[in-house]
Amino acid sequence: MTGKDNRQTFSYVVGAERRLADIIAEEDVMPLVKGAIRAGAARAALTDDNDNVLWSASNGTVTDAHDIILPLYLEGEVVGKLSVSGDRKNEGNLKGLAELIQNALKISLASKLKRMLTTEIHSTVINQSYEELVEVNRKLSASESSYRNLAESLEVKVEERTEELKKALSRLLQQEKMASIGQLAAGVAHEINNPLGFIYSNLQTMDKYVTRFMAMLDYYRSAIPEAAGKSELMESCRRKWEELKLDTIRADVFELIKQSVEGAHRVKKIVSDLKDFSHVDASGEYPVDLNAEIDKTLNVLTHEMPAGTEIARNYGPLPGFVCKPALVCQVFLNLLLNAVQARRKDLRLVVATMHDGENIRLSFADNGPGIPDEIKNRIFEPFYTTRDVGSGTGMGLTVAYDIISAYGGTIEVDCPEEGGAVFTITLPVKRIV
Amino acid sequence: MIEFDELEQRMVLKLVYYGPALSGKTTNLLQLHDLLVREGRGDLMMLDTADDRTIFFDLLPFFLKTPSGLKIKIKVYTVPGQVRHDATRKAVLQRADGIAFIADSQLIEASNNFESFDNLERNLAFVGLNIDKVPLVIQFNKRDLDNVISEAEIRRTWEPTGIPVQMATALNGQGVIETFARLAELTYDHIDRRYNLKNEHGLERDVFVGKLAAREK
Repeated sequence: MTGKDNRQTFSYVVGAERRLADIIAEEDVMPLVKGAIRAGAARAALTDDNDNVLWSASNGTVTDAHDIILPLYLEGEVVGKLSVSGDRKNEGNLKGLAELIQNALKISLASKLKRMLTTEIHSTVINQSYEELVEVNRKLSASESSYRNLAESLEVKVEERTEELKKALSRLLQQEKMASIGQLAAGVAHEINNPLGFIYSNLQTMDKYVTRFMAMLDYYRSAIPEAAGKSELMESCRRKWEELKLDTIRADVFELIKQSVEGAHRVKKIVSDLKDFSHVDASGEYPVDLNAEIDKTLNVLTHEMPAGTEIARNYGPLPGFVCKPALVCQVFLNLLLNAVQARRKDLRLVVATMHDGENIRLSFADNGPGIPDEIKNRIFEPFYTTRDVGSGTGMGLTVAYDIISAYGGTIEVDCPEEGGAVFTITLPVKRIV
Repeated sequence: MIEFDELEQRMVLKLVYYGPALSGKTTNLLQLHDLLVREGRGDLMMLDTADDRTIFFDLLPFFLKTPSGLKIKIKVYTVPGQVRHDATRKAVLQRADGIAFIADSQLIEASNNFESFDNLERNLAFVGLNIDKVPLVIQFNKRDLDNVISEAEIRRTWEPTGIPVQMATALNGQGVIETFARLAELTYDHIDRRYNLKNEHGLERDVFVGKLAAREK
């Protein structure tokens, strides 16, 4: 559309309006008008609808010209005029000549217009089909690439999910194992507690009884010499006393009882620690003091520790951390067991805890051989172990990692230059349960 | 979408005969060519065909002048009906000012009619035209055949839409001029609203239609 007021011209895809000179050209017209001259006309010309002469020919003679003028039609509209001039005497010939040329031009116009329209529609259709194909191709490419992305990411996702499932499975297995160990421990603890109870109280009663026996024996010994001169009896009593080594027994018996009571006391404490550690009595999550949980774990491990182990507890005050205590104890146990197994002589453990207002930080340092850099990023992988086949599951650190992750925390390992390994656990205190 | 050039005092209208394959669009144009007066009309131009089936289009041009001197060119096109020539249909349909939909009355053609009409609606939308606004007449052709849908049923279906329906047997010329005249009327009304053909150019509707659709004596 042009900008002029009340003037709207469109570009038609096909069949746009054309003028005479748009359709036929000089080489179509000139042979005809020249032919007219050769056939005896003085002048022949083709004019457009505004009477502008488009093409003409003449023999140069100026005569008493007679003009034959015929219209030229295009699509029902007069688009030009054909004039053939010559001597009036030849009017009949001129007329025939003009009609011949008019017909020739009409045929030429029609066939050229038809060819133009055919070309126009053909190229339009081809262009449009091409554009549609390009569009189809674009859409196909887009969908293909999205499918390819999907396929590629699918592989990655499947791997990720498989990894997660593998971890979840191993965690479940580990938890189940812990649960059954806990149940076993609880059962054993219960069974031990009963006999331990009467052993403990009987020992105390026995202590009293033995005190009385001793008192009686002492009474006999002091009373007999004052009895009337029965030195034979006295002598046989003294021999029997010696024979039975009652002096030694008398000196030893209270020590024995004391040791037995102490032993029973220790058994009681072990059973109680075991029960605490396995948390068989507790279920669900509640705020716990992690310092106390670390202590419980260390207590359970006491008998695993090689002789001469030094344990430094640098505890800071910690807020209650909401968790399942059995799970965090599992983490501490796994870390401490690794340390214990890493060094059998002169083991030194430093357990430090602190709270910085946001996070609880727990560190477990040992003076073992440390962890080589090349495997540092593999140690949390499931089933990764440096121990001999059968002696390590490769699950300890994985389980620790999973549990800490589940509580929104992190676990990192560092190997200081002076040796050993330091595992640092960071746990956010404000955890949405 | 009338092409109007005030400077040149020229207007170009485009009417399109649409419809399913073999419904008689070209036959309609051939009959118009044969039946209408020679004056003010160009020759029917049939672009190349394949096995007598239209692959591009046919074109029958008309030309008239209003008393005010406005020149009006009316180009009547057919489209190829075969499904595969959809790109051609879109190209021909572009900037149409009126449409005659030539339906095939035979019962077995009902679904083809429907599909073609649906195609018309989609292609009009494609070239930016609204089927509810563009002048449209429907011709049910081939009334002379057996097994055709009844006129009563056609009227029952189409009358509620307000689209004029014409019965025809194009092969022997029946209903052909009537369809064209009806389309010319609707097209005139459509243009007159905007270009004041009557008041500004002195062109009455009857004259316009009469000049276009005058039967050769």
